[in-house]
Amino acid sequence: MKKILLELVLTVAIIAAVWFGLSQVDWMKLLNVEQTTQHTEEKIGDLFWKMLKNSESEITSDSVVSPVDSMLTRICSANSIERTKIKLHLLRKDEINAFALPNNHLVVYSELITSCENEAELYGVISHELAHMEKNHVMNKLVKEVGLSVLISMSSGNGNAEMMKEALKHLSSSAYDRKLETEADLTAVEFLEKAEINPEPFANFLYRLADKTKNLPSQIYWISSHPESKERAERIIEQIKGKSFPKAELKDSLRFEVLKERVKEK
Amino acid sequence: MIATTNFKYEPSEHELEKAANSYVMSLVAIMGGFPLPIINLIATLIFYLGNLRGTYFVRWHCMQALLSQFFLLPFNSFGFWWTVSIIFTPETITSKYIAYILTIFIFNLVEFIGTIYTAIETRKGKHIEWWVIGGLTNLICKDK
Repeated sequence: MKKILLELVLTVAIIAAVWFGLSQVDWMKLLNVEQTTQHTEEKIGDLFWKMLKNSESEITSDSVVSPVDSMLTRICSANSIERTKIKLHLLRKDEINAFALPNNHLVVYSELITSCENEAELYGVISHELAHMEKNHVMNKLVKEVGLSVLISMSSGNGNAEMMKEALKHLSSSAYDRKLETEADLTAVEFLEKAEINPEPFANFLYRLADKTKNLPSQIYWISSHPESKERAERIIEQIKGKSFPKAELKDSLRFEVLKERVKEK
Repeated sequence: MIATTNFKYEPSEHELEKAANSYVMSLVAIMGGFPLPIINLIATLIFYLGNLRGTYFVRWHCMQALLSQFFLLPFNSFGFWWTVSIIFTPETITSKYIAYILTIFIFNLVEFIGTIYTAIETRKGKHIEWWVIGGLTNLICKDK
């Protein structure tokens, strides 16, 4: 019996040693796994953005883009996120929506900006989408729903337009699963906290728009694509319980009102 | 890893064929059932149960074939569910994962080659006892 046990332990130890030994090799680099994924992500993201750009009207006015850009920069620098890798795009569209595309394209619709009551709400939405990017949710969702082989064929230029539209629709108007949404919310709260922005308005935004959804379901994509908004808002409030944040200054509120007015101007 | 010893008695031609078949059974299952690790085990278990009333030599080798499947099952299952989690959850491919898959591939290959060798030798009338598994089989399978 002792001999058998000794042999068993020895065999398991050999298996563990082989695994450990093989783990020392950087297989990802050796087999170009990361490079292929990165290359696919870059191509797909740029293709999606090109499609969107051709079908929607992009806001390029510096007086609108610049304030949103500095909001994004503030969150990035407070959280050590490389700002230059994120490509911010503002589109003029009467849908309350914002979403992340592969290769760090962040798309925000004009209606979402005007629907925010204050700057902190927009900070919250941006942080949430940033969290999806940082946690690699975007590609995971695409791989899961569209399939890696289809994505690779798209990136090599073999995907048909209908397939591309369908995949883009998945990213812009359907939810991530509950686990990923919760993770993105909680990460967004962390991002906001580090940037010294109160996450409570973000929770209020979710709560307010969840109520509105009953009357205007087709217009509020960001909320309809993010189910259980009220529960999510409550989770955010729970997360920040007992913490204090600097109060928003009057000049920030005024600046945001100016931004909203500029977005409204056609 | 593998040792040729003398069995308690000289098995008949009929016994040799049945005993060798228990190994062939697990090979067929590997080919048909891969990558579902449980299939190999079930196939070998069914063959073992079918030979419960067989002679000691046949039962002994059926048991060794069955235990060899049991031994690899946890390792293969872990690899299988790790792969499933990569496909269906946010889990991503890492060097550790690739190393694990290579490890279980190597050990499955060793087991595969060992099984073919044992099936051939058993058919010739030789009694083969595997490292760890042979000792365990001696403990579990007793002459009635």
